[in-house]
Amino acid sequence: MAHSETNAAPAVGLDIGTSRLVLARGASAQDYDTASQLNAFVTIPYARLTENVLKKESVPHTVQGGHIVVHGSESERFADLLNVETRRPMTRGVLNPSEPDSLALMRQMIASLVGANSRLRDQQRLCFSIPAAPLGTDDNVTYHEATLREMLVDMGFEVKAVNEGLAVVYAELESTNYTGIGISCGGGLCNVCLAYLSVPVLSFSIDKAGDYIDQRAASVTGELANRVRLQKEDSFHLNGASPNKIHQVLGVHYDEMIQALVQGLKEAFLGARSMPKLGRPIPLVLSGGTAMPRGFRERFEKHLRAAEFPIPLAEIRMAENPMTTTAKGCLVAALAEL
Amino acid sequence: MGVDAQLPREHSLERIASRAGQITDPVARLRFLQGAMSEVAEPAGHALPSRTVTWPFLAWFRVWARPLRRRLQPHARRLEPLLRHRTAWAGALALGLLLIVPSQTMVPSNTGAPAARLATPAAGSVKPPTPATARIPSPSDVWLVETRDGIEIYSNGLQIETRETEANTPRRYRPYRLRSDLALAADERTRPAGVVYHTTESHLAAFAPENNRQLVRAGAGLLSWVRQNRSYHYVIDRFGRIWRVVPESDVAHHAGNSTWADADWAYLNLNHSFLGVAFEAQTNAGDQTTAVTPAQVHAARVLTEMLRAKYRWVAGNCVTHAQVSVNPSNMMVGYHTDWASHFPFAELGLDDNYALPLASLSVFGFRYDAAFLQRTGAARWQGLARADRQLWEEAQRQRTTVAALRSRLQERYKRLYAALKSASPHEEKNNGS
Repeated sequence: MAHSETNAAPAVGLDIGTSRLVLARGASAQDYDTASQLNAFVTIPYARLTENVLKKESVPHTVQGGHIVVHGSESERFADLLNVETRRPMTRGVLNPSEPDSLALMRQMIASLVGANSRLRDQQRLCFSIPAAPLGTDDNVTYHEATLREMLVDMGFEVKAVNEGLAVVYAELESTNYTGIGISCGGGLCNVCLAYLSVPVLSFSIDKAGDYIDQRAASVTGELANRVRLQKEDSFHLNGASPNKIHQVLGVHYDEMIQALVQGLKEAFLGARSMPKLGRPIPLVLSGGTAMPRGFRERFEKHLRAAEFPIPLAEIRMAENPMTTTAKGCLVAALAEL
Repeated sequence: MGVDAQLPREHSLERIASRAGQITDPVARLRFLQGAMSEVAEPAGHALPSRTVTWPFLAWFRVWARPLRRRLQPHARRLEPLLRHRTAWAGALALGLLLIVPSQTMVPSNTGAPAARLATPAAGSVKPPTPATARIPSPSDVWLVETRDGIEIYSNGLQIETRETEANTPRRYRPYRLRSDLALAADERTRPAGVVYHTTESHLAAFAPENNRQLVRAGAGLLSWVRQNRSYHYVIDRFGRIWRVVPESDVAHHAGNSTWADADWAYLNLNHSFLGVAFEAQTNAGDQTTAVTPAQVHAARVLTEMLRAKYRWVAGNCVTHAQVSVNPSNMMVGYHTDWASHFPFAELGLDDNYALPLASLSVFGFRYDAAFLQRTGAARWQGLARADRQLWEEAQRQRTTVAALRSRLQERYKRLYAALKSASPHEEKNNGS
């Protein structure tokens, strides 16, 4: 995407995910641009020659002491070259407490997505995604939300947060008056939201998602999680033949993840009080990079039907653009505030 | 898991859904639904007010009338007679306008107050300490040179006024063994395990030459009060003079309900186990720096150096009152929030102790809220996230939920707290800041 800084859109949607940062900017839900960065970084030893090459190639980086920190999508390439894992500013959907520079790095990556012209940010509405607390835990996302909110305000935006599952509803379910279930299967968490006429009725997350699959497969196969992820995104097919051990192991852990998601859905919906009388079956939409492998939707539907899900479903479908759905939903939420 | 809303009567919803279906633009439709649903939906746990139940027809008008009234608000004075009978008029007007005004013009207002702009940089502004600053000074680094006219003079330039010193209850405490389910230490301790930094929250005049008499008077008044109440061991006045008010061998009532832990030991109610050093200053919340003079910072540095050399404290046991203060009645941290942000750890030769996991969260199951985060400011404590992470990892290790683990930790804290209280029933309340 080539976003034009001379044509400042009134609103921005920002999906702040464990694996990716995705931005959607535009004046309407039909006319918008997107951009994304890998939410990762890698440190390499400082050398002036290296720094000059990075500058020449316009690779996003910063110099910190005796190291160069390459962040964003390019970090994956360097990590592969150096045979190391990328490091993550976020883990399990929230800021990574083991990475003290996480916030500063994310700020740089977000700044590179939104553009350098800070004047255009003044009064610009930005809606960013936040996860729901994982089911069965008492995890606190207050710190995560408050920290990101203040960082984005400091960058010049007028800020609002929206639950990630709800953002999927906003992006995909306008035809049912924003009634239905949105599920975003990301890197750190799978976020779920049941909304009724745009009101979030039930929201939660499951902490088995893309990173869980990558790490389990990596530990079994002895590969780097980063390389497992690349194979997963490139050619993996659920229900297909397994051309190698990595695919085979991925299939096993995908099944595990889907079953955990289905079980979580069933428990949450059975246990919820004050559920609205829906009157008619509702749609369920899947999105997120982890839901993209071919065969995922079919496998998920098979498990969900077998588990006798208590809510009647009209359809189970994939989002139109699974990688940018949450960002689009955040954009719609931001535009609705204008 | 969030159960986010309870929903209103079915007939209202059907009408809302029907109207929404006529809006083609997705954003406009969402805007309409958010406005309509916020008018009639109630947050979970709140009952619908009876008037919206007994007058369903009127409730239907409210969906339309209130956004319309908001649009008319700028013209309130001219329209006052109309607004006086707003419900009836708005109902009739809405019915008429329904035929001619597109619903896209209704703009809901369902957001909270906008977040304030920040004036200071975000996290990461504290300089990381060099290995030398984290080292424990040795006794040969700082020693007492002489005592003259009630002033102790030390080899690092530290001078301590001793004329205001008042004895108190001797220090005696037993910490809790961190790796043995908080079993009490076998031996009783008399040496302090660390220091808690406070602000006096006393009256401050502007620090200027023309206010000299006021400043001196305020300082004297403060010292008198602190001495009377044995509130701190040391007070650093605004001129950088250090006053020992309570001997280090005795207890000062500075920390009250508080918790801390280092690598080996956990401490409850730090009056007995930690020294209290108070800056004559007032805490500013969030991102405003607490105004202390350079002389005060220098004095705190040389005092801290002397105390660390004397007692061999690790840097992590030199903490602020905001880091240790808790409220046992609601199990929340931050009952006191002095030095919740911008404590000059680096200038005192210490590491950034805001990065240390809060023991109150990970060891004793306390919680924090958004109000506390506001006090800590933009430079978020890494210690909060680290403590959350520790709690989560421990829950994973024990194959339980964070909620269940937190509940057990809280029960354990309450047992220890009750035992402590029954062992010292006449302990004076915290009279610190």
